[in-house]
Amino acid sequence: METGLRILLLTALLATLPGCASWRHHKGKPPSAQSAPAAAQSPDEAPPRVVEPEVARRQIKVPKIRSSNFELGLFYGELSIEDFGAHPVSGITAAYHITEDFFFQAEVGRAQAGRTSFEVLGGNVQLLTESERRFTYYDLSLGYNFLPGEAFLGRGHAMTSAFYLLGGFGGTDFAGDTKFTVNFGAGYRVVPIDWMAVHVTVQDRVFQTSLLGTTKITNNLEARLGVTVFF
Amino acid sequence: MITRARHPALAGLLLLVTLCAPALSAAREYLQLFVTEPYLELHTGPGRGYPVFHVVPRDGSVDVLFRRTDWFKVRTERGVEGWASQTDLLKTVLADGSPFRFPLGDRAGFTAHTWEMGIFAGEYGAATLVSGYAAVSFNSQLQLEGTVGNFLGKFTNGVTGDIGLAHIILPEARLSPFLMLGVGLVHTEPKATLVQPVDRTEQSAYVGGGLRYYLTRRFFLRAEYKAHWIFTRRNANEEADEWKLGFAFFY
Repeated sequence: METGLRILLLTALLATLPGCASWRHHKGKPPSAQSAPAAAQSPDEAPPRVVEPEVARRQIKVPKIRSSNFELGLFYGELSIEDFGAHPVSGITAAYHITEDFFFQAEVGRAQAGRTSFEVLGGNVQLLTESERRFTYYDLSLGYNFLPGEAFLGRGHAMTSAFYLLGGFGGTDFAGDTKFTVNFGAGYRVVPIDWMAVHVTVQDRVFQTSLLGTTKITNNLEARLGVTVFF
Repeated sequence: MITRARHPALAGLLLLVTLCAPALSAAREYLQLFVTEPYLELHTGPGRGYPVFHVVPRDGSVDVLFRRTDWFKVRTERGVEGWASQTDLLKTVLADGSPFRFPLGDRAGFTAHTWEMGIFAGEYGAATLVSGYAAVSFNSQLQLEGTVGNFLGKFTNGVTGDIGLAHIILPEARLSPFLMLGVGLVHTEPKATLVQPVDRTEQSAYVGGGLRYYLTRRFFLRAEYKAHWIFTRRNANEEADEWKLGFAFFY
């Protein structure tokens, strides 16, 4: 009997608890919110605060480090197209420097081929149309900074430099067809200011063609001067 | 007359840019690092062979101007500018005393990097293939890849462009297989010697797999195979096998 009563009382107590808990929300204001204005009205009665923080916590902002591994630029030079003479070439080059030793390079160039000696001697013979004489190439290469160093301009100015080797592959659009082309060569890069470089590059572009009757491998040597910007 | 007027305008613009460039760069906020080792060596150029010309003593600080490969151009409190190596800078601390950390091109970086790019040579159908790709990683195992290729064959030339997902099976391993799945476009140019050559662009889909192998700092080898299905406007779809091998780097 006594146990039964105890259970009944406990059940009643449990049933009222959620009601008590919701009472605070029913009143609308939390107890702390009520005590705050009271403290403001009578400062003598308010409990003493330990330390009032006067300075906001300093947030250390870590600025991002700018990376300058991309190189973009233009070049101009001379391309010797086998059987078609040497002609000016110009184009765009882009590079990404991966480590201090290696870089990737992509380039596109264009030259206008001249006439073969057969055409010159033969008088009115035309092997190719003007648009077919347009020699356009692209390549993807890997470069290796073989001999890094410094170049000096007088006593006061030193520029970092590198002699580099290049090798890659791509395509050459010439005489109405695009041919798989292997390119290799070397260059010299001088960096007079941090964001600019001057290049002198010599490359050979090798592809197979059967344009003049027999299938043969042609070597097309190119020498050029380029200016690039690092970013 | 207009051309004449343009040149001074262009020169003026160039002059303005030249004058503004240092001002703009001066306005930049640089990361300040404090030396905790006995000294920090500054080299004359961004490479291990360049001589050390200056040292920053312990408790001295440097501003990091920019990074080129694994080298950082820094400026000391006295205004001396030089190149510090990544390994040396990793021993410095930030203004709040916490160590300076930077993602490296080592095996840990190979496992968890964001970007990668590479070049390939190989075969597409019976044609020679030149291609390049770039990928962005969502996590160490899943990445989104875009590939552009140029195939040069005896009877056809063409360009391919693919976009797809790659799943790296063992990202922590030096040698890991991966799987690929995606879609693309193929532009085919039959050579003029064939009857009625018509250029065409068709959609394609591919599945593939490959292996990647970490070589050295930031570099890895990648060999892969893709089986392409080209959805033609004719009765039957075409299939093309792509095999390629290349170099890639991550950052």
